[in-house]
Amino acid sequence: MLTCDNYHLPITLQDALVLWAAAPEGSRLVAGATDLLPWAREGRAGEVHIPALVDLSRVAELHGYTTAKGRVRLGANTVWQAFLTDSALRRLLPCMPHCSSWFADDQIREQATLAGNLANASPVADGTPPVAALNGVLELAHLEGDTIVARTVAVSDFVLGPGRTVLEPGEIITAVTLDSASGYGGSFQKVGQRRSLVISVACCAALVKTDNTGCVFEDVRLSLGGVGPRPIRLNRLESALRGERISHGLIDRAAHMAAAEVASRSRQQYRRSVVVSFVGAAIRDALADQSDVVVNFQDTEETASV
Amino acid sequence: MSELWVELEINNRKIARKTQAHKRLLDFLRDDLHLTGSKEGCGAGECGTCSVFVDGRLVKSCLMPVAKASGCKVETIEGLAAPGQLTTIQQAFHKTGASQCGYCIPGMVMAATSALRQNPQAGIEEIKERLGGNICRCTGYTKIFEAVELARAVIAGDQSEDVLAEEPVGKSYIGHNQRRIDAPARLSGRLKYAADIRMTDMLQMQVLRSPHAHARIVSIDTSEAEAMAGVAGVITSEDVPGTDGFGVFVHDQPVMARGKVRHVGEAVAAVAAEDLITARQALAKINVVYEELPGVFDPEEAMQPGAVVLHDYAADNIVKHIPLRKGDVAAGFAEADIILEENFSTQQVEHAYLEPEAGIAYVDADDVVVVISPSQNITHHRQMLSRILDRPINKVRCIMSPVGGGFGGKEDMLYQGMLALAAMKTHRPVQLVFTREESIVASAKRHPSRVRYKMGLKRNGQILAIRFSMISDGGAYGMSSEGVMRKAAILSCGPYEVANLCVDTTAVYTNNTPSGAFRTFGGMQAQFATESMMDIAAEALEIDPFEIRRVNMMLPGSKTHTQQELNSASLDRVLEAAEAASRWETGAPHMRGATRSDLGGADTRAPCTLGARFAGGRPGADGKERVW
Repeated sequence: MLTCDNYHLPITLQDALVLWAAAPEGSRLVAGATDLLPWAREGRAGEVHIPALVDLSRVAELHGYTTAKGRVRLGANTVWQAFLTDSALRRLLPCMPHCSSWFADDQIREQATLAGNLANASPVADGTPPVAALNGVLELAHLEGDTIVARTVAVSDFVLGPGRTVLEPGEIITAVTLDSASGYGGSFQKVGQRRSLVISVACCAALVKTDNTGCVFEDVRLSLGGVGPRPIRLNRLESALRGERISHGLIDRAAHMAAAEVASRSRQQYRRSVVVSFVGAAIRDALADQSDVVVNFQDTEETASV
Repeated sequence: MSELWVELEINNRKIARKTQAHKRLLDFLRDDLHLTGSKEGCGAGECGTCSVFVDGRLVKSCLMPVAKASGCKVETIEGLAAPGQLTTIQQAFHKTGASQCGYCIPGMVMAATSALRQNPQAGIEEIKERLGGNICRCTGYTKIFEAVELARAVIAGDQSEDVLAEEPVGKSYIGHNQRRIDAPARLSGRLKYAADIRMTDMLQMQVLRSPHAHARIVSIDTSEAEAMAGVAGVITSEDVPGTDGFGVFVHDQPVMARGKVRHVGEAVAAVAAEDLITARQALAKINVVYEELPGVFDPEEAMQPGAVVLHDYAADNIVKHIPLRKGDVAAGFAEADIILEENFSTQQVEHAYLEPEAGIAYVDADDVVVVISPSQNITHHRQMLSRILDRPINKVRCIMSPVGGGFGGKEDMLYQGMLALAAMKTHRPVQLVFTREESIVASAKRHPSRVRYKMGLKRNGQILAIRFSMISDGGAYGMSSEGVMRKAAILSCGPYEVANLCVDTTAVYTNNTPSGAFRTFGGMQAQFATESMMDIAAEALEIDPFEIRRVNMMLPGSKTHTQQELNSASLDRVLEAAEAASRWETGAPHMRGATRSDLGGADTRAPCTLGARFAGGRPGADGKERVW
């Protein structure tokens, strides 16, 4: 059961940073709180007393999103459901709605934030693979005197290991910036112990853009979660596909290259076979997700030889 | 503990009051405002019994600190319809029989309301997905989905409101869609389950549970807990005035651990305090010194000579052995053309009713000890409590509160004795509400079983003899084990007439969580073995699985395994219906064709997939903005 001495609801970033810097040791930042409350229960953290909870959900500077120079800047308060309900975000970040539909459920997605998912730094976070595919960068802020000082960290460098990030004491995630991927097709694959409300064993995000005729891969972005302590971009596969004629055979060959990327300590063999299927399915789903392009495979699925 | 000033609007009513800063919106609704329609099924965002709207968005109120709702508009199940009325969705739930135990229903109605508000044209797959955060254990969801589709049609004007009305009964109630008389109380959230009841001056109880599977209790020091401000009383087995022991057949279970603990999660002491937090803090002040004992966790090991003994009265660790004999098994096997031997095992299963255990006890003005709980067997609980409390039966009253799902799991007594003792000690009403985790740790489970099976058959499939030996893990206490073993034995060899059989079912004590009553009461474990054997035999003899069952089925005049002569039997009609409904391809199990004609029909369900709301086309494709 969770108890606290103080629950703060600051409405400006300055106030939030002041409160957070002054918060006694053991205090916690709260965004959606959807991980915090289940954590403070029997079998996990049990009885938890937190000196101060600093809730960021009312901080105006963390609300909403903006677009500029081919990037989308999501305020840290952006909740998962926005990737499904906001038509502009769906267009700009085509892999995010697919990831979102697998993330918890409709109700939890109304509260849970993408930034909070990244901050938890779970090796099987659903959020890291699509953010890595979108070349995600986190904006962090802290106070020096009265001045707000910001820095940026790529998502791949942000996570140090399970539960560990580069966040310094007093620092808050203020935004996540992502490539605008308008015109790409997106997809997300996930396997867990059951279908909904479940932590991934492994997951995979893909973004694909073809030429107008649907014959050639112009760009491919692939990333995996749950196969090591940090999210992995499949750079080798991406280069093997970029500029190539689209065929089932090529996709199958590329998918098999992914097995070598599995570095998790447990269930390696299982994860390897899952990852191969995931990468193939992710590419095909993302191809089908492109609007206004009919993909023109060089071969049929049956004749593709691996 | 700091306080927080909260101003918000709940069901169009402005609320402004002080509350504790750590409270969740669910606690605020239930404890501060007595809006108990929202339930706590898990407290971890898994089950959806607590779903409410906050500023029009459906959320799980167990995952929302109350501070987050300040300044917001909250809508709960109580606010959906005017008093005494039901919304179209609630009426549709009533019509299709979607409300059974009712504990998930307020949350389910909220989720259905949200689904149809988000997309009034939502198809069935999208409805399923949007209800994906809410769990029901009674209905299998079919009737709930039917209700949402019916409500959608009525709201859209595709069907008249008349379809929601009660249907007149014809000549018979059989086959008639009879609306449940108790459904409106559940659909509106008005029905009070044990955890929803508030009494003046009521204390909250919390239970200290054993971290050890088997240990001697050297000492229990409750003095520090009793000295805490806000603690009204601490109870241990010392407080039992009568004969301490309960169980359905053998009274081997003390109200709280007496002398030793026999499983992880066994109650050792309990605190009744002014509020939940004080009670929980007081638990940490109780000092129990244990001397750990070796444990036994496998029923077959527990049956070996020299095994650890759990109960002095049962040196062999046997809870109950039920033998059943009919005919001459050796002669039957001798005549058989084929003898098959297989081993089967089944696992422990949790009932997972949506309503965690809860209860209230008080001593009334006439000195009657009253226990209110969702007990599935109040008369027996009352008799046992009378002996435990050393009171005449007319001074013990058990009131059955609505059962938010039981499935047998609320048949075995568990915590009612502790509640009664605390009420007697404090002379105040005492309430105990289990957490989900506590329910899983402490409540009885389905018996894990191992069956050794030997079946002798003639070439035409006729069973000549069966030797069936089942070992069940009874866990630390007897509970319903004896009855479960009897039922397992009676049903052991299935609805088949077997001339020669030798059946043994045995429940054994181990230091695992006790096993108790659970739907089918031992029948399922036995049927899993028997029906598997029938398929294995069909394959070995190259006979159609329906055919081998018809060869052996009980008919009027057949003698059951316990040698009762049957006046009637219906298995022939059951098999016929099952064969037709499953579009069975006749033949031995391994003689299927390349394609299966029994899959994918209108009456089968496709595997669940996600993303139904993407199927409506890409956003804006039809020129209209869809809400996802």
